[in-house]
Amino acid sequence: MTENSETKPDVKHGAAMALSIWAIVLVSVVYFFKYGMPELAAERTSVDTLYYVILAITGATYVIVQGLLGFYIWRFRYNESAEGSYWHHSHKMEVAWTLGTAAILIPLVFAGLVIWDDVQAAPPDDAIVVEAVGAQFQWDFRYPGPDGQFAEFRPELYSLQNPLGVDFDDASAADDFSRTNQLVLPVNRVAHIRLRSKDVLHAFFLPNFRVKQDLVPGMQTSVTFTPTKIGEYEIACAELCGLGHYRMRAFLSIRSEADYEAWLQEHAAPEAEAAADN
Amino acid sequence: MSEGRDDHGHGKQSFISTYIFSFDHKMIGKQYLTLAMAMAVVGGVLAMLVRLQLGWPGMHATFWEKLFPTGMASGVMTPEFYVMLFTMHGTIMVFFVLSLAPVSGFGNFLIPLQIGARDMAFPFLNMLSFWTVVPGAIIILISFLVEGGAAASGWTAYPPLSALRSAMPGSGMGQTLWLVGMTFFIASFTMGGLNFVVTILNLRAKGLAMMKLSLTTWCQFVVGVLGLLSFPALAAAVILLIFDRSLGTSFYLPAGIFIGDELFAHEGGAPLLWQHLFWFLGHPEVYIIMLPAMGFTSDILSTFSRRPIFGYRAMVYAILAIGALSFIVWGHHMFLSGMSPFLGTAFTMTTLMIAVPSAVKTFNWLATLWRAKIRFKTPMLFAIGIVSLFVTGGLTGIFLGTSAVDIPLHDTYFVVAHFHFIMAGAGLFGALAAVYYWFPKMFGRFMHEGLGKVHFWFTFLAYYGTFFPMHYLGIAGMMRRIYDPNTYDYLKPLQSVNTFISVAAFVLGAAQILFLFNYFWSMFKGKKCEALNPWQANGLEWSTPSPPGHGNWEGAVPEVHRWPYDYNHPDEKDADFTPQWKSPAQLKAEG
Repeated sequence: MTENSETKPDVKHGAAMALSIWAIVLVSVVYFFKYGMPELAAERTSVDTLYYVILAITGATYVIVQGLLGFYIWRFRYNESAEGSYWHHSHKMEVAWTLGTAAILIPLVFAGLVIWDDVQAAPPDDAIVVEAVGAQFQWDFRYPGPDGQFAEFRPELYSLQNPLGVDFDDASAADDFSRTNQLVLPVNRVAHIRLRSKDVLHAFFLPNFRVKQDLVPGMQTSVTFTPTKIGEYEIACAELCGLGHYRMRAFLSIRSEADYEAWLQEHAAPEAEAAADN
Repeated sequence: MSEGRDDHGHGKQSFISTYIFSFDHKMIGKQYLTLAMAMAVVGGVLAMLVRLQLGWPGMHATFWEKLFPTGMASGVMTPEFYVMLFTMHGTIMVFFVLSLAPVSGFGNFLIPLQIGARDMAFPFLNMLSFWTVVPGAIIILISFLVEGGAAASGWTAYPPLSALRSAMPGSGMGQTLWLVGMTFFIASFTMGGLNFVVTILNLRAKGLAMMKLSLTTWCQFVVGVLGLLSFPALAAAVILLIFDRSLGTSFYLPAGIFIGDELFAHEGGAPLLWQHLFWFLGHPEVYIIMLPAMGFTSDILSTFSRRPIFGYRAMVYAILAIGALSFIVWGHHMFLSGMSPFLGTAFTMTTLMIAVPSAVKTFNWLATLWRAKIRFKTPMLFAIGIVSLFVTGGLTGIFLGTSAVDIPLHDTYFVVAHFHFIMAGAGLFGALAAVYYWFPKMFGRFMHEGLGKVHFWFTFLAYYGTFFPMHYLGIAGMMRRIYDPNTYDYLKPLQSVNTFISVAAFVLGAAQILFLFNYFWSMFKGKKCEALNPWQANGLEWSTPSPPGHGNWEGAVPEVHRWPYDYNHPDEKDADFTPQWKSPAQLKAEG
């Protein structure tokens, strides 16, 4: 066979390719040990467990398949004396890797769906219920007060004085109160956050709690979770909502039951009075 | 059936009918490719500016003010400019680069040559589809210059942000032009899809059964079907959004929206309707971008491995399965959108099903390399790169397709990493592999091999350097589309990762200048392609001189006797390849 530059095998590049792929695999895997999810502060350990199971399975597959790719490239680089091969079909192998892939995925799907169901389950009756209202570019958290009832809200009541559109004629309005960009919850109690948006889409994202849910105008969505660690955390908006999207940030404070009750006492009273004045 | 139409192949053609309003599929393919490259330069510059901000948030430099008097007023990038940058980067790259280059560019150029047709089935429609996308591209480019700037609601353009002018500076004229530009694009792409399907079904050369088609053509066939069925959904979505914006309808707008002390009069609409329509296109669109790359990879791997593609039949079934499944997975973009959680359950199942044919493709590629005799020319390096990127991006899809694990990862940089590997990476590397491989067929000259290799190495390493660390950012909780991650305390420790990514991205961007230079230099000064079949390949496109004249073959179109993957055929004694047009009698006579 005549050698011309289009058929010159350039095997050095094959060796370099194999080495590059192996190096990339090594470096990329090592850094997975350095960067992890934010510290978990909720009961959603199952989400993390499934994440680590998938990470282990895909990680092993990544190492094996990329490793093989590199190995084949190096091993089967052009060699004039090597026997050419016409072998191009194996029914058994096709069936094996089809079923093999399915066999790995099916348990993952079911494990995932059990957790998904869990996360989406209706809250128990004694859950703490708070309403989170998203608007460009802030969060307002409304608490129902001692009566446990939220006053109705009506969009036509939205104004600078009444940003949440609360109907103050509603009997249950008197003890409702709200805080801007600050959510306080007691530890180890189920929290149910009702989400509504005043303007565009937003997403209620609690990185430490594995909680994320879009807010959709015209709809009420919600999340249910149980904080398990006392501390101060950040709340982020995770759905593009305009030029100030990046600064639509709020704070979540998880407190002991006693501290939470004290905080409720402190905040419920003055606002109820202010509302009564209206 | 193989004769096709030859009526435009004779007589001297004027400059305009040769280079501008050409009916010739090869010229139209090159026109698409040129347009895609021009748009890629714009999309690439936008990405560099995005990385500039994320690498060094709030960096001040007075010379920026001269370049972008509003976007970087006082030398610091504004948040609205940043949102516009990634919106237009996504739009331009997904539609005007990654769809146009591998599909419209190489589909038009290669399909007739690979199936032995004189042209596409509808040459006029083909010309029309190109000249429909050009105004679309121009409108998208002009939108940068209007008041308020270009669209700034993300490439997904979710309403209400995209529907209400007061929601966002770019939600004014820029968003309207975005919608109009997209309408042109959709019309063009739908025409193209029709042409692909009809051509492949009807104009194959004598002897070319469907199960002897190259995998490139098989992929383009499925892409044609996907485009034809999915783009009309986006057309409907876009037109309804234009109505909501301009005529006061409420398809996407519910009652009670309040922005800037104004309560809007809309009522009865649902923002989620847009998301369903958008992703009903959007997910097939991902495969519209990826499938051609899978086809190129299969053909190039086989040619440079001197091995038949492994598991051809399984590959065809996998392509068909991916095409079919791509229509029932769109909801995995919407697990947390407010859609019923029961749908989340269903979409998790269908989504992970699509991993099976994807894995089958990967294993068949690996088996193709087994006992191969690999030649490492530039197209082969890019094809191997696609396999590697596809494995990386495919595996991360399993995290995101599992609704429960999607909760922490959705809308973070993990997603950005995932789709840049699987979709953008496959599309980009696919287009580049195809350019290096078929360049002699297009222009009768080779691209500079040494420069090509340098381009490959910078691109491959910088690609991993840019996009792999984004997984870590996403896992650590960094959201997409945020102007300054340092607003959040928990994201501050990640700044060094962001700076590293930006440096890698600049290397990646700069490496593409080598490619552009090589492309245009080689067109005029590249080494001439004298041989009929320089890569010693088997595809029918190598049976005619490069570049082929009008009508593609001088005399009769050759009869096809075999699939394009007969490398190292046991009956072949002279060479390690047996082209599609070589008859069994010829083979016997030689033996």
